[in-house]
Amino acid sequence: MAKKNVSVWTSIPFWRRSAAWVTGFAVVLLIWLSFDTLGQISMGTDEDLKSGVTKRVPGPTVINYNIDYKFSKKRGSEVPIIGDKEPFFGKEWSVEDAAALLHLGKLTSQAKNCMNCHTLLGNGAYYAPDLTKAWLDPTWEAMGYFGQKTKEEGIAHFLQHPAENAIHTRRMPNLAITPEEAKGLVAFLKHMSSIDTNGFPRNFSKTVEQFKQGGTNAR
Amino acid sequence: MFFEPFTDVVPSFFGWLNQGPLTLTIFLHTIIVLPMFWIYFQEKKKLEEA
Repeated sequence: MAKKNVSVWTSIPFWRRSAAWVTGFAVVLLIWLSFDTLGQISMGTDEDLKSGVTKRVPGPTVINYNIDYKFSKKRGSEVPIIGDKEPFFGKEWSVEDAAALLHLGKLTSQAKNCMNCHTLLGNGAYYAPDLTKAWLDPTWEAMGYFGQKTKEEGIAHFLQHPAENAIHTRRMPNLAITPEEAKGLVAFLKHMSSIDTNGFPRNFSKTVEQFKQGGTNAR
Repeated sequence: MFFEPFTDVVPSFFGWLNQGPLTLTIFLHTIIVLPMFWIYFQEKKKLEEA
């Protein structure tokens, strides 16, 4: 018996089943990806830092450590390197105090709407410099920490008096940031710079000259 | 090399699939498109027998 000449492409059940399959698969995939992300973005603990366990987002006590940015040939991007301990505002912060300071910094960054001009971890604007790795910016050192002894004091000083210490034609306005809030913001920035962002923002550690030569500022 | 050794910080299935150029894309398209051949031939058979 000769087979009937049929058109599958014009059959509605074929398209209905294909659409159901693709949609169903995408739903399962997105739910899976959401749970997969949780492991990537969950914060590490103080024990992780002490035992050298690498987490994408280290715990708040990372502010007690030196943070460097190095180019990893294996990863093909710059990665934050958590080094030896160093005092932060002259002391070592406990787990609770570091978490509280970081929380204050986060709330302040939201209250003062940093994202209105800056970018944090890919969110925000590009009117002002990207803050994702701001702690590692060599500009702080180049500016002599604005007459302060340490980098954290220098950044805190700048945050309280940005208009007077403008280093850019797009001046940051004075936002009435208190000394305590400034400390929190510096802790927030230091913690953010320790987050492994797969090298984002791209070429942060390069100057224009280094970029032309293919080199990098990251040691 | 098409397949690179795993270099991501936190191990994950998707991270592992995403190590080479287009590997995640090719994998996902393959497992989405292959069952559609099966759907096509099943529907064809149904229409022929109807």
